[in-house]
Amino acid sequence: MALTTSVEEVAGRVPITVVSLDGELDASNFERLIDEVRGLYDAGSRQLVLDLSALSFLASSGLVALHSIVRIMHGEPPPDPDSGWDALHSLGLDVSSGATQAEVQLVGPQPAVARVLQRTGLDRLFHVHPDRATAIGAF
Amino acid sequence: MSLAGSVADRLGAIVGPFGASPSGVSIAIEDVDGRVLASAGVVSTTDDLAEVRHEIAAGGEVVGRVVGRGAVDRSIIEAIVGSVAAGVGAVVEVSVERLGAADDNSHRIEAELALGRRIQRSFVPLIPPDVAGYEIASHYEAAREVGGDFFDVFRPQGRAGRLAIVIGDVTGKGIAAALLMAFARPLLHAAIDHAPSPVIALDRTNRILVEERRSSLFITALCAYVELRSGVLRLANAGHEPPLVVPADGRPPWWLELDGAGPLLGAFANLDLRECSVQMAPGDLVLLYTDGVTDARAASGERFGDDRLVSIVEAARGGSAAGMVDAVCDAYHRFQGEMPAADDVTIVAIRRNPKRARSGR
Repeated sequence: MALTTSVEEVAGRVPITVVSLDGELDASNFERLIDEVRGLYDAGSRQLVLDLSALSFLASSGLVALHSIVRIMHGEPPPDPDSGWDALHSLGLDVSSGATQAEVQLVGPQPAVARVLQRTGLDRLFHVHPDRATAIGAF
Repeated sequence: MSLAGSVADRLGAIVGPFGASPSGVSIAIEDVDGRVLASAGVVSTTDDLAEVRHEIAAGGEVVGRVVGRGAVDRSIIEAIVGSVAAGVGAVVEVSVERLGAADDNSHRIEAELALGRRIQRSFVPLIPPDVAGYEIASHYEAAREVGGDFFDVFRPQGRAGRLAIVIGDVTGKGIAAALLMAFARPLLHAAIDHAPSPVIALDRTNRILVEERRSSLFITALCAYVELRSGVLRLANAGHEPPLVVPADGRPPWWLELDGAGPLLGAFANLDLRECSVQMAPGDLVLLYTDGVTDARAASGERFGDDRLVSIVEAARGGSAAGMVDAVCDAYHRFQGEMPAADDVTIVAIRRNPKRARSGR
């Protein structure tokens, strides 16, 4: 099953971009999602809501996408997973503190997706909201 | 392309993770004549430094040497130096075979994939050790695109009564994932050799990964110590699928879910792991696996899933560890049919031998 993304601009307290994921996020499409968010950032998006309510499956490579998206929205150049260590190592975002960032908010993961986030501890990076309105209100 | 040229060409990718190391390790790669082709890391000359040298072999030929210096435990330097030497050797070999001939992009990608697989294969043991009183079986299958699975089964240094089992999955794919795996596996091995508990082993590995490199590639890992005499399996889990425990007494299989499970390695400074243990009675089996099994997809789009795994395991219970691995393997191949595997698959089973009924002769 493929991954379909749809993008919507919302005027909250600040301009917010909502990206909805529909389908499965896995090794076959995680790089495309990273590219798409990079494009949004380049076009001026600075606050992102990722709506996961229609995402039925999150593979471990999808975690790479989520983490890269945090970096992109944080203004860091995203790592190119194929360019080797130099590119990866030149990045400076300190994930080690585990502090929740504010640029990317998550909405409504299904239980299977929430379980992967929880098992791998990536939920430490995000605020997870029950619905879009709450996520938009968080900015 | 010359061997030295290939080495220099590919060096950045390999030495990168050791660059600007705060933990006082330096790595240099020299050619056969002792010229330094690349180096990374800084060590203070006032420290009492351990030095480790390791030859780089490719195609049966010594093409150079890796020299590591540092004020940290010598076994850690040995592990890193050995890993880098193996990685560089694999890179040189495949570079000469494949990359030299690769002119257009698609060939290059194929060659890169072959390289990733080569690196990976050289780090996955195919024959588990013989351990009296236990049976260990494993299966490893690489995806076309190199998933980054690895496992290791060995007796920690100076601990004849203990068996260590590690299973892990580097998130992402491609060469970067394969190289991180090549780096992490010996690091875990060295940590386990010196750590009194699996929690400490994973903590130390995580600390090095977090300090040495910051990337969006992470590692999920399970680390188990089996105390062979008592049959106690001690486990720490960093973001990995929990193992399945299959009791011999007829109770249903259950997941060794830990309250103390923590996040995957490489992302956070603190894992906050807690150890959990299970007493293996004679005949009990523990199954460790990677998400390549449960995430396998049929042509219909359906995923293999946890429930199917449990029912397969339940049907195969009571047999050998090898039989269990075969049963899971067969089931997932049947399920997947003609679909190409999207991810690596690793399955490791350990079974405590059942007590033999004494035959009254």
